[in-house]
Amino acid sequence: MSGAARAVPGRWELPALRLWHAALAGGFLVAWLTADEDTYRMHVFAGYWVLIAVALRLGLATVGTRQGPLALTRPGRSRLMIWMGGVLMTMVGVAALSGVIADGKSAFEDVHEGLSNAALWLIPAHAALVAWVFQGKRLRDKVIGAARVSAVPMLLLAGLVLAVPAQAADPARDAILAGYAKAAKAADPGFGGFSAARGESIYRARNTVNADYPSCATCHTDDPTQPGRHAKTGREIAPAAVSANPKRFTDAEKVEERFNRDCKTVLGRECSARDRGDFIAFLSSK
Amino acid sequence: MRSIAMGAGLLLSLTAPAWADRVAPLTDPVTLKACGECHMAFQPDFLPARSWARMMDSLDNHFGESAAMAPDKVAHIRRVLEEGAADRVGGKVADRFLRWVAPGGTPQRITENPAFLRKHDFPAREWARAEVKTKSNCPACHKRAERGDYEED
Repeated sequence: MSGAARAVPGRWELPALRLWHAALAGGFLVAWLTADEDTYRMHVFAGYWVLIAVALRLGLATVGTRQGPLALTRPGRSRLMIWMGGVLMTMVGVAALSGVIADGKSAFEDVHEGLSNAALWLIPAHAALVAWVFQGKRLRDKVIGAARVSAVPMLLLAGLVLAVPAQAADPARDAILAGYAKAAKAADPGFGGFSAARGESIYRARNTVNADYPSCATCHTDDPTQPGRHAKTGREIAPAAVSANPKRFTDAEKVEERFNRDCKTVLGRECSARDRGDFIAFLSSK
Repeated sequence: MRSIAMGAGLLLSLTAPAWADRVAPLTDPVTLKACGECHMAFQPDFLPARSWARMMDSLDNHFGESAAMAPDKVAHIRRVLEEGAADRVGGKVADRFLRWVAPGGTPQRITENPAFLRKHDFPAREWARAEVKTKSNCPACHKRAERGDYEED
């Protein structure tokens, strides 16, 4: 609290705030981009980075001038901005903290994912608010100033525009399907596209090859939007349907591996390229 | 020489309770991911290297289902499992399991080893519990099993 008595903010305070913001935003971005098993270590590192950044913000508030840029609340600042900052930072902090717990207790993974997604959606709200509040003010002053300030929210918005389709759309899955379509056409020149109905009949068929695994639905359940369970080991299986599990059919190597294995185990035969495409078409439609 | 041995013995006896039911955790990400997809990725310490070799050579029929994967992945996982195998790393748990393995024998099921059975002599209803389901589901009871810690819970 040593600096609290000073009325004039130190010259370092605004740069410190900007640096802190860059560290938090960067850490969150890295954590979001690495939220996959393949990059788990980086994800954990970024998560702790975020957590430390949130804690650091509270520390900065105590060393900054009472009404300076580092203060958590200050007169003249939009109430909305203060609340937005508080809610966003709390959410990001809670998301990071739940990640620490999930690292030890995997049952927490879903909670962590939910909280992180909630925090993710607060970021465009935060950026929009910053753009709205600051832009209006600056436009009254100087156009150039406005352009400079808006560069930050615009960059954030641009990042989000790129981020949202990355979650919803699926170029990787399209590429996999295109590969199967090409192979299906090569095998049968009369091939006229994949059919979700044919895929569904593969999924639901009861087979007699292996009494332990008579059907795809044995492990993946009759409703593919639900999580499944390995019939023998009891290991939980993420939902097969794309709507419930957007990562489905996006890793070509894994897709091939699973078709090679499970067709043999459950159907007792190889699946053709058309079978594979039909199957993906069915689960993409669910 | 004797004092060194005694000192080492004392040190061992001090640490023994802590690691009596512990094995080195499996850390290789490829192995963890590939094995852990369908069941807990068991630490290699429970079987000799020749057992793991046989298992990795017969993935087409892995306990009644195909677990086939790309040859380079098979080779990688095979190496990880062989390097960490009971007869390569030794240790308390490994020795306890190896005692029951015939020379040259290649057992596949860890849960059939008497070292396992002696410690898991429960009535059938315990095994039938919904969250247990199968004997290979270590983490159902040993919450830290995936980290190599099989202390009682």
